[in-house]
Amino acid sequence: MDFDFTKEEKELIAEVRAFIDKEATPELLAETRQLGLIYGGPEGRKFIKKFASHGWLTPNWPKEYGGLGTSEMVTYLIREEMAYSGLPCIFVGAHMAGPAILRIGSPEMKKEFLTPLAKGEIEFALGYTEPQAGSDLVAMKVRADDQGDHFLVNGQKTFNTHCHVADYHWLAARTDPEAPKHKGISMMIVDLKSPGITIRPLITMAGWRTNEVYYDNVKVPKKNLVGEINKGFYYMMSALDFERMAPPGVYRNLFDEIVHYAKSTQAGGKPLSQNPLIRQKLAQMAIELDVARLLYYQLAYILDKGSIPNYQSSMEKLFVTELSQHITETGMEVLGLYGLLKEGSEWTPLAGKVEHFHRWSVVETIYAGTSEIQRSIIAQRGLGLPRQ
Amino acid sequence: MNYDLSQEQQMLKDAAHRFLVKECPSTFVRQMAEEESGHNPELWKKMADLGWTGLIFPSEYEGSEASFLDLAVLLYEMGYVCLPGPFLATMEGGLTVLEAGNDFQKKDYLPKVASGEKLMTLAWTEQEGSYAIATRAEFQDTHYLLTGTKLFVPDAHLADTLICVARTKQDGAEEIGLFLVDGKALGVKIKVLPTLSGEKLCEVTFDQVHIPKENRLGRPGQVGAVLDKIFHMAAVAKCAEMCGGAQRVIELVMVQAKERVQFGHPIGSFQAVQHHCANILTFADTSRFMTFQAAWKISQGLDFEKEAAMCKAWVSESHRRLVALAHQVMGGMGFMEEHDLQLYFKRAKTAELAFGDADFHREQVAQKMGL
Ligand SMILES: Cc1cc2nc3c(=O)[nH]c(=O)nc-3n(C[C@H](O)[C@H](O)[C@H](O)COP(=O)(O)OP(=O)(O)OC[C@H]3O[C@@H](n4cnc5c(N)ncnc54)[C@H](O)[C@@H]3O)c2cc1C
Repeated sequence: MDFDFTKEEKELIAEVRAFIDKEATPELLAETRQLGLIYGGPEGRKFIKKFASHGWLTPNWPKEYGGLGTSEMVTYLIREEMAYSGLPCIFVGAHMAGPAILRIGSPEMKKEFLTPLAKGEIEFALGYTEPQAGSDLVAMKVRADDQGDHFLVNGQKTFNTHCHVADYHWLAARTDPEAPKHKGISMMIVDLKSPGITIRPLITMAGWRTNEVYYDNVKVPKKNLVGEINKGFYYMMSALDFERMAPPGVYRNLFDEIVHYAKSTQAGGKPLSQNPLIRQKLAQMAIELDVARLLYYQLAYILDKGSIPNYQSSMEKLFVTELSQHITETGMEVLGLYGLLKEGSEWTPLAGKVEHFHRWSVVETIYAGTSEIQRSIIAQRGLGLPRQ
Repeated sequence: MNYDLSQEQQMLKDAAHRFLVKECPSTFVRQMAEEESGHNPELWKKMADLGWTGLIFPSEYEGSEASFLDLAVLLYEMGYVCLPGPFLATMEGGLTVLEAGNDFQKKDYLPKVASGEKLMTLAWTEQEGSYAIATRAEFQDTHYLLTGTKLFVPDAHLADTLICVARTKQDGAEEIGLFLVDGKALGVKIKVLPTLSGEKLCEVTFDQVHIPKENRLGRPGQVGAVLDKIFHMAAVAKCAEMCGGAQRVIELVMVQAKERVQFGHPIGSFQAVQHHCANILTFADTSRFMTFQAAWKISQGLDFEKEAAMCKAWVSESHRRLVALAHQVMGGMGFMEEHDLQLYFKRAKTAELAFGDADFHREQVAQKMGL
């Protein structure tokens, strides 16, 4: 056992940190927060190209596709650092679709997409959910009909975040309506500028945006089919495993700010941090963050051993997202009535982050698979319990 | 990072598992809980012959120089079977001598602990149930006179030597000192208390016990740090036992979840039950990581008090909740004396309260965070 990082890993992360300290301008941070931690604004795109030019966006990818050929551990460390620093940290291309293309894409597809992804020049959006197909993904109906050299896609997707800023849609569509539900779905890459696509905003209660996407006779070239036809469900499931590897950094950062606030804010002539109840709550969050850290790096460890995490990614997703909610609740308790204040008032503490993340954290246990779905996966895959 | 045991640790674990499953069936655990001694000298001898009592001591004291992490691996397996007896108490005593003793004391005590000849314990907790030391040792030129009552002293009735934590005066200033006390010394009275799990916690009364000057342990001014270290190590050791217990609880529950049929289906196929089980596995995995992280830090000679406190706070609560969920899945059967789950329920509470519960350790964490 070894619960520390290697010297090389520490050196690399110090380098990344130094770069971030220099390049994370207030404009970039403000834009990132306004966009919901995704990239796509002008500052974000500028930053990510510079960042990716060091190979840091996809360090674990092979050199021929713009990676550095490093361990997963390094990748995880860098992602955690980005999340902690308030930079764009949710990358569909680099972290979800890209790894799938690496494993199942054709040589041409790899050539076309991987290097631009690694360089931060293009971004993807996930296209799974439909109005009647949320947790039950196989209920999806968007159809892609075979027209010889292309598919013709029709139907509606919902909650497709990133679509308004991304370049490509990582789309799951039904290619065989006759087959058993999970055997008739295929994955394809769609240029979001294709004629026939309409993107409509859906604004969340946290103010961040997701989208509805309508496909009306959209032509998708056959070469954009990912892997084999009608095997999309399996690819989607394994891409979801990668989606479920959330760095705890965003909330670790928020927590550090809450701790700082508790130490530096007086109530009744004493710092809040001297209140025994607040001390208990903050200590509990520090402990849970350490647990989350161990769950997070365990995933990298498993990947570096050459295995694919199984129930462990669900466990990490479940734990980190529930922790997100514990931390914003704790923040609210520490701030008291001040916790209600939104960004913009002179009375607002911590730039309104607690108020904002309190609203946002609600969705953490819903998207990328709800907590109920994660618990079922843990029970079935981790303990071998039977499905009904 | 490396989350796996080394090959040697895996071998130790497998061997300990085989041995303990054979030597310590749950009938034995029940029997020991009922007997006042709670100790089987034959089993102890076998464990000593396997080198367990000497595992973590340096070779100059006839130990095998294994790390604290190795000890944690062994304790995990002991927790798996709910092993009764004075192993952990003796290790704590031995470690205290190792940390605080002078050359003579170490040479005198440690080889005997390592060989399994000598049983030890730490007499620490006061009547208030706290670590605010009230027991006093008055210096009288050539010896100390020790007076006070300690409670919840593990396995004191078996110990050849007790290490008593007592208040004393050094050059006129109040101080905490450690004293090696012969278990049979005049004025030492020991009573085994009836406890939840049948683990042997004792009342120990010291009535003007005569302690030769040479039996004072540790240099003045250093005892606080030694105790802090031993306390946190013991807390991690308890966590290792709880983690092993969790493993056994999961196995017990899985048998039930897969085999018990209600409404025409195995209960493990019901979602409410699955979600209990997912929570159980999450508590078990995270407890193990926190425990082995803290044990690893101790082994590496790094600062470990914060990780140890985080570990004890996390595992104490997780383990209690894990066992409660296990009972929920098990239904009425798990509530019966004849089912083994109840043994783990009882152990869980004992371990939770030993060496500081979650509230206690969260306060430690808060201090380490500079709050
Ligand atoms: C802000 C946001 C961003 C998103 N981003 C994307 C994106 O980029 N791309 C994308 O494709 N999707 C995205 N999603 C969709 C997201 O993945 C789904 O919302 C999620 O999987 C849940 O589906 P649902 O909302 O339809 O809820 P439902 O599936 O209707 O679930 C409602 C409730 O029923 C429970 N439930 C359902 N099925 C089961 C079951 N089998 N067992 C137990 N309980 C069950 C759920 O746990 C939940 O409690 C996003 C969603 C949100 C809100």
